[in-house]
Amino acid sequence: MTDTADLYATATGLIERSAAGYASGVPEDAADDGLFGPASVTWRMSADLASPVAGLRSLLMQALHPLAMAGVDQHSGWRRDPAGRLATTMTYLATVTFGDQAAAIRAAARVRRIHDHVRGTDAVTGRPYAAGDPALLLWVHGALVDSVLAAGSLVGTALSAADSNRYVAEMVTAAELVGVPRHLVPSSVPELDLYIASVRPTLRCTPAAAESMAYLLGPPGMDEDTAEIWQDVRDAAIAALPRWARQMYGYGAPPPLTPSRRTEIRQSLGVLDAMFLGQPGVLEARQRITLRMRGGRRA
Amino acid sequence: MKLIRLLAAMVAGAATLVLLRRRPGRLRLDRTLAALRLAVRGGARYAAGAPRLFAAAGEQRQLLREDLALQTAEDVAGTLGAMKGVMMKIGQLASYVDDGLSPTVRHTLARLQDSVPPMSPRLAAAVVAEELGAPPERVFARWDPRPIAAASIGQVHRAVTLDGRAVAVKVQYPGIAETIWADLRNVALLRRMLRIAAPAQDVDALLSEVRDRIGEELDYRREAASQRLMAAYYDGHPTIAIPGVISELSTRRLLTSELSGGVRFAGLATWPQHERDLAAETIYRFVFRSLYEVRAFNGDPHPGNYLFERGGRVTFLDFGLVRHFSPAELQPLMDMARTICVEHDPEAFRRSLENAGFLRPGAPLSTQAIVDHLAVFYDTIREPGPVTITSDYASSVARRCFDLRSPVAGYISVPRPYVILQRINLGLFAVLGELSATADWRAISEEIWPFTQGPAATPMGEAEAAWRARRQAAAA
Repeated sequence: MTDTADLYATATGLIERSAAGYASGVPEDAADDGLFGPASVTWRMSADLASPVAGLRSLLMQALHPLAMAGVDQHSGWRRDPAGRLATTMTYLATVTFGDQAAAIRAAARVRRIHDHVRGTDAVTGRPYAAGDPALLLWVHGALVDSVLAAGSLVGTALSAADSNRYVAEMVTAAELVGVPRHLVPSSVPELDLYIASVRPTLRCTPAAAESMAYLLGPPGMDEDTAEIWQDVRDAAIAALPRWARQMYGYGAPPPLTPSRRTEIRQSLGVLDAMFLGQPGVLEARQRITLRMRGGRRA
Repeated sequence: MKLIRLLAAMVAGAATLVLLRRRPGRLRLDRTLAALRLAVRGGARYAAGAPRLFAAAGEQRQLLREDLALQTAEDVAGTLGAMKGVMMKIGQLASYVDDGLSPTVRHTLARLQDSVPPMSPRLAAAVVAEELGAPPERVFARWDPRPIAAASIGQVHRAVTLDGRAVAVKVQYPGIAETIWADLRNVALLRRMLRIAAPAQDVDALLSEVRDRIGEELDYRREAASQRLMAAYYDGHPTIAIPGVISELSTRRLLTSELSGGVRFAGLATWPQHERDLAAETIYRFVFRSLYEVRAFNGDPHPGNYLFERGGRVTFLDFGLVRHFSPAELQPLMDMARTICVEHDPEAFRRSLENAGFLRPGAPLSTQAIVDHLAVFYDTIREPGPVTITSDYASSVARRCFDLRSPVAGYISVPRPYVILQRINLGLFAVLGELSATADWRAISEEIWPFTQGPAATPMGEAEAAWRARRQAAAA
């Protein structure tokens, strides 16, 4: 477990670098509309207030896969350099979403090259794993897509059934990009639900998952006031989990999400978003996206 | 597992982005929140460089991008909902920026302000129609669909009334009042933000003050009332002008005022020093006449709210942040000024500070130490004679307001009624410093102080005395 001084060291520059990563992924002059396009649901959801909740829920879901978790546990350096990791993530997600097609494909190729080196044996199940394994990539993908929908409907923008299906279908391309054969990827909400149910028997909370998620939910060294704001994000992420996932972690049933509690959570999310918006380049990146979306709507 | 690793990092990032250590061993919310400290302490220096922040942010927004205009109430909610409007308002309350704040903090608050585009012409017209029962083209003889300026939670359009008066119509963003009310109700989050941002302050007093002031600004009828009060008092004044309110075209979300002429602050800065001195004198007279005679203080003395004409004539705009004082609240302020400036009685000064609640009674401090600490606030008025207020002086006043290292600081606090008056020390002096204004501020103060009622000290003072005589004759 990191001590406070280390955490500080790692936290420094985190918001700046991640924001810079995000801004750099949103092109000023895109050669084309990229893999999704300004009229896509993917673009709309990418700026949703619930994004931090979706991100945290994704991780909680992804970590329940023992082999995926083992890969993170044995290869990830994110604790040593969260700022660098976050920046890379933001750049990747922004590039794949908003970049032109060539940029998205280049970014994905880079990720696949790195995956080639991530292999090992899971200590808990004794099974070998490889980051390039489509089954693992698909779980990571499915957990993310499911989390964006779940977090959105709970505390962000709830999509209609038709738009939810569209979002799942649009995101097939993202999975394909990192190496999952297209025909394996769920392309509608019912397919996604079936897929998640089919993986569920293999999921469990390994010690590595329990430890790393405990760290995320209660990062050490937070003062009381900050912890209470973070609490809103984690409450929402846990409330957005399926009940079985909560049970695997041993989390109690969340308090009911009353309208006033939902408002409070959104207010905390707004504070987080304002911090992000305050970083250089973020406002301009969002304005570029807005303009392209408006252009897209008119077209 | 690159992806999962990246996602792990992302959430870890989200977790740690709220962490930034502000002092050893303690992790604190990111600097955005630290910026709220300003708000609360009243803000500090607005000096070189700073005008581009809040002071000018509104004006810059008009240059902004119509292509990004807010087109629907949902756009408004997305931009200003979920605490962002509240943070922006708090940031605006803090427009005079603290020396102790990093450029990043100022930048963050300014960016938040800049992130609000204007309303589209259609959306603005819809608000007018909802408020007045008919679209602007029918309610006004002429209506300019393009805003001429941004207001904090709205924007200003030029129009001509059916009876031919040129007016400025401030139009509030639809839904913003409801959103901000809802956010102000989250007392727990506000308290957390303030506690994080202003650890040395009495958070509950600040919280009440911030909520009250922001809440008041949401109802333009309240601003209209303050503006009418000021306009009535200053009617016929030789150099102070307050635009009249067109009551029949003003509502909760619309404020229609006479359109005023004059140049902006940046224009004044190019005028000869003599003109700048006159403008500064008018601003000074306005602030203290309003305080002592109207018992009202406009908490927003920033350059964006003035229009200047030659000869010292200043039009004062924007009365959204006016605090009204009771005589009992004003008395201690007068006692403080009288004891230190007129009677030169340090012990009596100390007692008046204690009575007002600025100084903890029985603090283990020498009276001399207290006087030394606070004298800077009275430097310009302790002795008669011309004094030039410089930006350096304004900065030293601001630094003293935020000086927590002094042994005196621990025993000083600003009671709630006076929180907003910090902006005299911060905002007013910053403006005068920016103008390098010279005047006999002591003699002008003696004219204004109720306990001295001194003779006219300047030509403007003579004109003002004549105006006061006319007022009294009219009242009699």
